[in-house]
Amino acid sequence: MAEITTLIQIFIWGLTAGCIYVLMAVGLNMIFGVMKVVNFAHGEIMMLGAFTSFWIYHYTGLNPYFIMFISMIVVGIFGVIIERYGFRRVLGTGKLNEIFLSLGLIYIIQNLSVKLWTDDIRKIDSSFSSITLDLGMLNITYDRIIAIVFTALILITLYLFLTKTDVGRALRATSQNHEAAMLMGVNVNHMYMLSFGIGSALAAAAGTVAGILTPFNPYMGTIPGIMAFTVIIIGGLGSIPGAIIAGLMLGLVQNFTIFYFGGAWKDAVAFVLLIVVLIIKPTGLFGEDH
Amino acid sequence: MKIAKGRILIILLILAGIFTAGCTAPTEEVSGEVAVEVPDSIKIGLVAPLSGGASDVGNDMKQAAILAVEEINADGGVFVEEYGAKILLELVEGDTQTSPTEGVTAVERLITNDNVVVLVGGFSSGVTLANQVPAAGKVPYVITGASSSQVTRRTEINTSYFYHYCSTTDDYSQPILQFFVDQLKPLVAEDRDLKLALIYRDDAYGKGVIDSSIAYIEDNNLSIELVAQEKYPTDETDFHAYLTKIADAKPDAVYTVGFVKDTSSIFIQGQRDVGLNTVYMAVECNEDPAFYNLLGEWGDGQLLESKFAPYADDYTPLMGPYKDAYLAKWGVMPGMMGADTYDGIYLVKSAIERAGTMDRSDVNDAIKQTNEPEMLILMEGGNIAFDKYNEISPRIFIEQMFWNEETGELLPVIVLPEDLKSQDFVLPDNYEIGG
Repeated sequence: MAEITTLIQIFIWGLTAGCIYVLMAVGLNMIFGVMKVVNFAHGEIMMLGAFTSFWIYHYTGLNPYFIMFISMIVVGIFGVIIERYGFRRVLGTGKLNEIFLSLGLIYIIQNLSVKLWTDDIRKIDSSFSSITLDLGMLNITYDRIIAIVFTALILITLYLFLTKTDVGRALRATSQNHEAAMLMGVNVNHMYMLSFGIGSALAAAAGTVAGILTPFNPYMGTIPGIMAFTVIIIGGLGSIPGAIIAGLMLGLVQNFTIFYFGGAWKDAVAFVLLIVVLIIKPTGLFGEDH
Repeated sequence: MKIAKGRILIILLILAGIFTAGCTAPTEEVSGEVAVEVPDSIKIGLVAPLSGGASDVGNDMKQAAILAVEEINADGGVFVEEYGAKILLELVEGDTQTSPTEGVTAVERLITNDNVVVLVGGFSSGVTLANQVPAAGKVPYVITGASSSQVTRRTEINTSYFYHYCSTTDDYSQPILQFFVDQLKPLVAEDRDLKLALIYRDDAYGKGVIDSSIAYIEDNNLSIELVAQEKYPTDETDFHAYLTKIADAKPDAVYTVGFVKDTSSIFIQGQRDVGLNTVYMAVECNEDPAFYNLLGEWGDGQLLESKFAPYADDYTPLMGPYKDAYLAKWGVMPGMMGADTYDGIYLVKSAIERAGTMDRSDVNDAIKQTNEPEMLILMEGGNIAFDKYNEISPRIFIEQMFWNEETGELLPVIVLPEDLKSQDFVLPDNYEIGG
C-alpha cells in the first residue's frame, strides 16, 4: 500500500491534468451546447493558444499568466472568424459537412503552424517554475497551484457570465431552444459567434497552461482534443457541470491508473470509463434525456 | 485528298519520331567509341521524420545530409567509372512523418517513383522496421538512426541490403550499465546492489533498449537491482504519476529511454515536481541542441550516453570543420543523428566510387566491403567496417552536463571513456541517496 503522501501527490497530478481536460471540455461543450456543432479541431485551437502565448512571451517577456488572458482574447477572435466564415456556412446542411469541415481544419491549422513556426519543441518559461510550496509532506510547484486556481477562476467567471448577465441568459436560451430564443428577440447568429469565441478562448487557456507545464509543438492538441470528447460524452453532451466533473474525474482516474497498473492502461481506462458510464446512463452523467 | 495525305504523312513522321526517340538509347560517338549518356544526377533517398513527433531529429538529419551533398557536389560530385565522369548527387526527401504507415509510403515512393540508387536515414526503430519492408533485397539502405538490432537481424525479410550505421541497443546498454556499476555504485551503494529504475517509451525502440539492458545485467550478473520498470505511451507529456511510482521505489539512479521531448520532461518533472533528486541517464538520440535548451538548469550534473559530442573538445579532426560548416549554414549546433547521416552520405559516395556503377546490387556489394577511416562517429579500431550483421562498432561516450550560471548554458563534458574524458564523474549537487 502506498504512503498517504504518495497518494496525495498522485491526487494533485490528477487534479492538474484534469484542469486542462476541464478547460478543453467546457469550451467544446459551450460550442456544442449552443450550436450543436462538434468541432474536432478543438485540440488545434488549444495548440494555437499555446503558440500565441509562447510568441507573446518570446517578444515581450511578460508574465505568462497575464499573457494567457491576451491569448484567450486573440484565439477567441480567431474562433469567431472560424464560426462566421466556416461553420456558419455549413450549419444546417448536414452533420457530415460540419464534421468534415472540422476535420479539414485539423490539417490546415496543424500544417500552417508547422510551416509558420516549424515543429521544433517549445516551452513557455514561467518565473514560478522553480518555486515550490512546501507542505511538509510534499512540495507543489506554484505553476500547478496557479493552474488549479486559474481554472477555478475562469469557470466561476463563466458561471457568473452565463447566469447573471443578459448575454449569458441569451446564450443559455439559444442552447435550450433556438427558435424560442429567436422569437424572444435573441440574435442567434451572434450567440453562435459568441459561443465559438468563448469555447476557443477556453481552449487557449488550456493550451497556455499545458505549454507552461510541459514542452509542446504543433502536434500537442491531438490527444487532449480526443480526451476532451471523451470527457463531454462521459459528462453529458452540452452539460458544463458534467464537463467539469468528468474532466477532473478523468485526470484523477488516469493518474491513479498509471500508478497502480502502468502507463499502458492510461488511455484505455478513459474509454473503459466512457463505456461504463454509457451503459449505466446513455446520455452521460449530467446529460438530459430527450 | 492532298491535304488529308499530307496530314497523314505528318502524323506518321511525328509517330516515327516519338517511336525512335523512345526506343533508341541516346548515345554519342567519342573518338570512335560509343559512350553512354551520363545521368544528370545520382539520386539518394533520405528517409527521415521531417514532420510529426520526431521532426526535430529529422530536420537535423536533413540538414546534415544537405551539407554533405553540397560539399560533395562542390567538389564535382561522385566519380562513376561506368560513365567515366563525376556525377552530382541529388537528395530526394522521404518524410516518414514519424509514422510506420507513412514511412512505408515514403520509401515506396523513393524506390518506385524517384528511382533512388540508395537510401540513407531511418529514425525510430518502430518506424524503420516498417519502412524497411519495401526496400528489402532491392535497394541498399544505410540506416543511421534506428537502434534496434532487429533492423539488420530480423529473419522474416531479406536484410542483405540493410546497413546499421549507428549504435544498436546492445551497443549502448553495455557502457551505460557498466558506468553505473563502475562509477556510480562505489559512490552511493558500495556495500549493496545499485537500485536502478527504468522508464521507457512503449515502442520497439524503448523495449529494445530495456530488453538488451536486462539481458546484459543477467548475463553478466551485475550488481544492479531493478526496482522499477515503467513504460509510457509515445505521446505522453505528463510523467508525474510514473515518477511518483519510481520515487516510491527509492532508486539510486533513473535510466530513461526516450526522445528529446519526453526525456527532458522526465528530468525536469522528476526533480522539480516529484522531488526525485537522483542521477538521470538519457540515451544518445537526445544529443541534440533542443535537449540542452529544454533541460536548462535541470540538466545540471545529469548524464547522457552518446557517440557524438559537438559541445566537447574536438576529439576528431573532422569535428571542428563540420561543426563550423553546420553552424554557418543552419545557425544551430549539429545533433547526433545528423552526424550519423552526414557520415552515411559520404559512405554512399565512397561505395558508388568503388562500385564504379550506379547499379543497386553492385553498390550494395561495395557498401558491404567498406573499410574506410572513421569520420564524425568514432569506431573501435579506427575504421568503418560492417560485421556479419552489417553493423558497425561505434565508440560510446558518457557525458555529464553542467549548468553554467554565468552564461545561462547547459554544456556537457565527456566522463567516459578514459582516453577521451576531460573530467571524472561527480554526483549532482542535489543528489539524495534513494531519490
